[in-house]
Amino acid sequence: MSPRYFFYLYSHKIFFWLFVLTFGCQIFFWKATEKFRADFDIIPPVPNKYAISAMSLGDNEFLFRALSLRLQNSGDIFAGFIALKEYDYSRVYQWLKMLDTLNSESRITPALAAYYYSQTQNRNDSLRVVDYLDEHSSANIDANWWWLFQAIYLAKRAGDFDRALELAKKLAQNNAKDAPLWTKQMPAFISEEMGNGCLAFQVISKLIAESENGERQISADEMNFMRHFISERLRHLKTGKFDPRKCSKKL
Amino acid sequence: MARFFYVYKKPASKFINSSFDMKSILKYILKNGLRDRLYLGLLITLIVSFSISIFLGSTMLVEQQHSTAAYITGSSRAILAIGMILFVCLSVSRAFENKEVEFILSKSISREQFILGYLAGFFLSAFIIFLPLVITIAIVTKPTLFGLAIWSASLLAELLIVICFALLASMILKNSFSAIMASFAFYIMSRLMGMFVMAIDLPEDFVAAKNHILSASLKILSAVFPRLDLFSQSSWLGYGIKDFESLKIIAIQSLIYIPLMIFMSFHDFKRKQF
Repeated sequence: MSPRYFFYLYSHKIFFWLFVLTFGCQIFFWKATEKFRADFDIIPPVPNKYAISAMSLGDNEFLFRALSLRLQNSGDIFAGFIALKEYDYSRVYQWLKMLDTLNSESRITPALAAYYYSQTQNRNDSLRVVDYLDEHSSANIDANWWWLFQAIYLAKRAGDFDRALELAKKLAQNNAKDAPLWTKQMPAFISEEMGNGCLAFQVISKLIAESENGERQISADEMNFMRHFISERLRHLKTGKFDPRKCSKKL
Repeated sequence: MARFFYVYKKPASKFINSSFDMKSILKYILKNGLRDRLYLGLLITLIVSFSISIFLGSTMLVEQQHSTAAYITGSSRAILAIGMILFVCLSVSRAFENKEVEFILSKSISREQFILGYLAGFFLSAFIIFLPLVITIAIVTKPTLFGLAIWSASLLAELLIVICFALLASMILKNSFSAIMASFAFYIMSRLMGMFVMAIDLPEDFVAAKNHILSASLKILSAVFPRLDLFSQSSWLGYGIKDFESLKIIAIQSLIYIPLMIFMSFHDFKRKQF
């Protein structure tokens, strides 16, 4: 019997057993890979500048908005949520910095850092957010004074008062027209909390002097706030038997 | 005297005939768009894209309107470009297959007027969809007027370049699938030009350049392809125009590349035998 004739006679059986064999292979394959799950990064590595440029197809703004949405929703996947303490904050920092290169004017990136990623339970991660907000704001303090204030608040919350004071001094240098007076008073508030009454006294004295000399225009609302602050601090200083004369020597 | 009148009258009568024929081609292309459901199809796609953009924009933590504007402009630009490439390539290849080209050319119309008529028709078809798109963007995203005007002009120039290339590809390749793929490749490569230019670091020494084949080929590509990556930036709507130098490049690029494509089409079509 020639092979051709054999095939003609038994081809239907051959194909049936081939079907059974491949079906069995599929079942074994399913069993072997049943537990396999695709690797999932909460925050994937930041693409390099060439990949970013290729992805944008020339429209950086569109890519910026798309990636901002991606960063905002990272971790919310498969109908579940992941605690911020599980995030790799070094990658979050890199993503925020990369987004700044696409659009440094937008409020999305600092807002994500200050209002969302700052809610982490890890102190070191909070300080990474502070680093980002500091770097973002330092490029233009007048435009970003609010984010510098957020960095101060976060540093204070993380218990790093020295960093908060350093940032507060930076914030006090702003010349933004829309910045309220308390941005200038911030070093005083922080020093006060740190127990450094001398620095708080110096900052307030300087502001009062500027107001009296006419160097600074203070609105009625801000003046009310100043009065409240000064009276509160004076009361506090009086109860603490604070002597400004000693302070001026020290300063 | 009779000869004089014949010579005198010929150009006028040719002009009347040809203008009439170009107008017919234009009407024919516009009706083609209606028959192929181009306007309806693109309109529905744009409505879906608008809806998704508004939804995604509204989920942003801050700057919802800016985000919506960026999503709308980015997606609608891609939809218009893809839609017009498909329409041009399919219409032209069908015209060749159905012998419509031979029929039109049998009338008193030159091959240049045929190409210009087709181009005008395709451009007008794009404009019919483009106009309501711009009005809707203005209403939904409330952009800066100057930014919107420049974005619109830039998008029109981009569409014209894409239409010209798609027409040229359809003339040369005839096969609709090849023409569509070539046009998509052209559009994506032109949009990637920014990345190519960034990647080029060609050494001055030619001997050393041989070791940098990739850089050399990128440089050659960047010389041939237009800089579409600079066109219709979404940021113009939200932040206005800051870099007027790129506007100059866009204007000059359009003024050079559109005639280049048209002249290439003329040259190719002139050599065609029917």
